[in-house]
Amino acid sequence: MVDATLLTQMVIGALLGLSVYLPLRCGQLSLATPGFYAIGGTLAALLSTRVNALGGSEPSYPISSLLLEMALAGALCGVLASGIGAVVLRLRGVYLAIATIALVEILRVTMLNQEALGGAVGIFGIPQPFDDPADYALFTLGLLAVICWLCDRLERNRLGRAMAAIRDDELAAACQGIDTERSKLVAFVLSAVVAGLTGVISAHFLNSWNARLGNFDASITTLAFVVFGGSRTWAGPVLGGLVLTALPELLRPIGDLRLIVFGLVILVGPLLLPQGLINPALIGLVTQRRR
Amino acid sequence: MADLTQLLLNGLSIGAVYALFALGYTLVFSVLGVINFAHGAVFTLGAYFTYLLIGGAVGANGLLAGLQLPLALPFWLALPLAGLAAAAVALVIERIAFRPLRDQGADPLLALITSLGAGVVLVNLIQLLVGAESYAIPTTALAGLPPAIRLLGAQVRTVQLLLLLVAAALLAVLSLWIDGSRSGKALRAVAEDPTTAQLLGIPSGRMIQIAFGLSGFLAGIAGGLVGLSVSIAGPYFGIGYGLKGLGVLVLGGLGSVPGAVLGGLIIGIAEACVPAELSGYRDVVAYGFLFVVLLVRPQGLLGRVLPTKV
Repeated sequence: MVDATLLTQMVIGALLGLSVYLPLRCGQLSLATPGFYAIGGTLAALLSTRVNALGGSEPSYPISSLLLEMALAGALCGVLASGIGAVVLRLRGVYLAIATIALVEILRVTMLNQEALGGAVGIFGIPQPFDDPADYALFTLGLLAVICWLCDRLERNRLGRAMAAIRDDELAAACQGIDTERSKLVAFVLSAVVAGLTGVISAHFLNSWNARLGNFDASITTLAFVVFGGSRTWAGPVLGGLVLTALPELLRPIGDLRLIVFGLVILVGPLLLPQGLINPALIGLVTQRRR
Repeated sequence: MADLTQLLLNGLSIGAVYALFALGYTLVFSVLGVINFAHGAVFTLGAYFTYLLIGGAVGANGLLAGLQLPLALPFWLALPLAGLAAAAVALVIERIAFRPLRDQGADPLLALITSLGAGVVLVNLIQLLVGAESYAIPTTALAGLPPAIRLLGAQVRTVQLLLLLVAAALLAVLSLWIDGSRSGKALRAVAEDPTTAQLLGIPSGRMIQIAFGLSGFLAGIAGGLVGLSVSIAGPYFGIGYGLKGLGVLVLGGLGSVPGAVLGGLIIGIAEACVPAELSGYRDVVAYGFLFVVLLVRPQGLLGRVLPTKV
């Protein structure tokens, strides 16, 4: 039922979920993920189709070039995010959410109008590093595993705990000597890097790229991953991303009704489980058993 | 002079739509402190309701293919009825997507998600029922009115003028109601602090319903007017307006009624000033404004600064 192509899509969903989760870990609702995802995707599409030295004309695109693109996209998104974050993170709550929506829209309209960035048509024929969809699935799963491990490390160290403290009460955290500005900025930058890396893989996997891939709808779906899965720990957005990406595909047999059912899931999910699937009660249950 | 009048009227008529849109957001935001992301879908519904009420036939692609209501109301009657129907839908959204969260005392940000879910359901329901094709509300619905009139040397479409007049009338009535009437005062009290308002004997739940009903009515009217002036470009056409409405909302100041109007007119005129060769970037105007305002003056043009409380 779940083939390699769908599995890759699901893992990409989980990665984007993690990207939305990281700022939420310190209580910041940023919807900028699709913007950085689009930057990563566009960068990969441009480099692999326009720069011959990377090996785009070879029968199989070199993995080393893919890794290089990821490094460049990660760096670019990181630098951009540290600049943008320093400015937008002065905003709080719904204001931050709206500012990041505006950011995503400005990026999208710019890419749509700049022929050099793909324009309205998009960029086609992005070279394939893997012939077999199963290899894509393995590669993305590997990346997901690494990022999950890093998130797990983060949640246990000083910075991660500082982020949780900011989420619970920013003022109290600041009074205890936590550098709230810096912690929030780090979370925002990490979120952008994860989104950029995901964009690179996604561009190769999809074989074509256009500005519509980073639009408002994407902000919402990725946010739904986190809300559905839960935002207390990294496992929540991963689970949410996997399940909610698979859902519309698994619902394909019911045809036109599938997006209605998808909407109902987003509508009813928070009502039944306000803290998401992986919620504190569940975490408490699991850790108690372990003791 | 004629060019300037033309430009101003174009800007004002589209700005009036943004203002109606932003007012709907503001009404809900002021009482609940959250943004109703299903608002764009209600706007879309208003346009479709208007189309059906004036006797328009459904195309061949939806479940309701070929449906035509056995009535052909004139536009001036169909529009308020469509507004009322949209208000009813907004009330249902409040009941399903907002009230249960409030009763549980859940994080208000969750309402962003649930209202979005409601919006996704509505938009796809429209697509399922009437298909994805575009519909045009014929200007013949304005029986008796000429398609265009001359004003200060400029050729003005009657539709634009109508849009401007209806929006201005609604905005005036709304401001008078909020500032002058007892129930308007109650609404402002709830916006200030729902719990205290409740303790003072104001039915907060009822006022929230009124805010939703009004916001739905305004969105429905705006939808019908845009459907007449431009056309209904498909079930998703409200989303773009919805996002721009957010820009208008922030520009004017979240929760401020005159701010929403001022923001709408400023963005409408600014968009009309974008030259034709850069028209691809017209959509950036609202978001650019939004971004700059958030950073320079986060409380908006006419908003208030609230102190941070422990």
